[in-house]
Amino acid sequence: MKTPFLKPRPGRIRYVSPRFQGPMVLAFSAIIAIGGVIFWKLVDAEFQRVFPLAAIQGHYTFGSAYDIGRDLLARHLAGLFLGVVLAGSALMLLLVAITRHGIGKAVDSLRASADGDLSTPTDTGPIGKFDRFGEHIDAARSDTFASLMKIRSETTALAAGGISPEEFRLRWDELKQRIRRIAP
Amino acid sequence: MSGPKGPGNSSMIHRRYVFGLLLRLWVNFAGGVAILFVILYFALSRPLPGDYAGVFHALHNLSPFLRPILAVSVLVYALLACGSTSAVCVYILHKVVGPLYRMELVLDQYRSGAPTRTVSFRHDDQAQPLAQAFNLWIGTLRRDRQRWLATMMDAERHCLQDEATCRAKMEEALRKITGDMARYR
Repeated sequence: MKTPFLKPRPGRIRYVSPRFQGPMVLAFSAIIAIGGVIFWKLVDAEFQRVFPLAAIQGHYTFGSAYDIGRDLLARHLAGLFLGVVLAGSALMLLLVAITRHGIGKAVDSLRASADGDLSTPTDTGPIGKFDRFGEHIDAARSDTFASLMKIRSETTALAAGGISPEEFRLRWDELKQRIRRIAP
Repeated sequence: MSGPKGPGNSSMIHRRYVFGLLLRLWVNFAGGVAILFVILYFALSRPLPGDYAGVFHALHNLSPFLRPILAVSVLVYALLACGSTSAVCVYILHKVVGPLYRMELVLDQYRSGAPTRTVSFRHDDQAQPLAQAFNLWIGTLRRDRQRWLATMMDAERHCLQDEATCRAKMEEALRKITGDMARYR
């Protein structure tokens, strides 16, 4: 007896667009790395100053080096967290704004196409991913416009008359086929 | 921040999605800083020697000793925070980029002349108005196509009568279609 074999559902691909997700990952990594380097430089400079100073003071009322550096460490860690959070949040909000603008322009362009405007450029923005997406939309609109203009010129030519009945019938059938190919 | 609204008042990118994204980033950054704190706490919290001279020498030599520890702890923080933030970015941003990629495929398919089906994204995907706007455009084109074909077929029915009436009705239909197409610019 054969055991029923359930095929596992294919996993969803997460890394869809290296052009968009890649630079975003690099930008966030850069913020973290820059924050880390600044923290390192500042804390290192403080450590070079604080511990020798504590050594020459002579009153050793602390049990460990942590007791001496606790405040400066807390201050710098809080600074690192706030700096990275603020920079990361600003970048994220900028990204959201650019995405909204890009997608908004694409939606406007498609709605305008539904109203008959197939020639105004989409202008999705300077970000590579959206620029390319806008080009895709414009290419589809442009193809549709070219196809419609061909049909229109043919209908105009046929309506003008002066064509033999045989040729008229032939071109009429071709025109019907051409119209059928719009948005199949 | 509320972006342009699409049909049915659904926004391009939901606020909930943006807040979720920011919250995940903050948790990530906080986790990285916590790891950095733990490493430095263990490096600094070792008890100092009991006698006066021992404490003096320990504190005096602590700064050069801490320098590589600090460097390594910052490196560990950077690697862990970068890794987890990258994972969060890729995981979260695919809900925006995925629909765009899907739309690109649909547009390529449309341009190739293959039959185009109605586009719908997963319920948790962002940019839902994009699918609605595309469906609206394709729907309008299809309605126009059906109307033009119906006009032509209506004219063809007159071919059961005499040739001249048939030709006149066909030319009338063509003029009607030409006028109808004038809205496309």
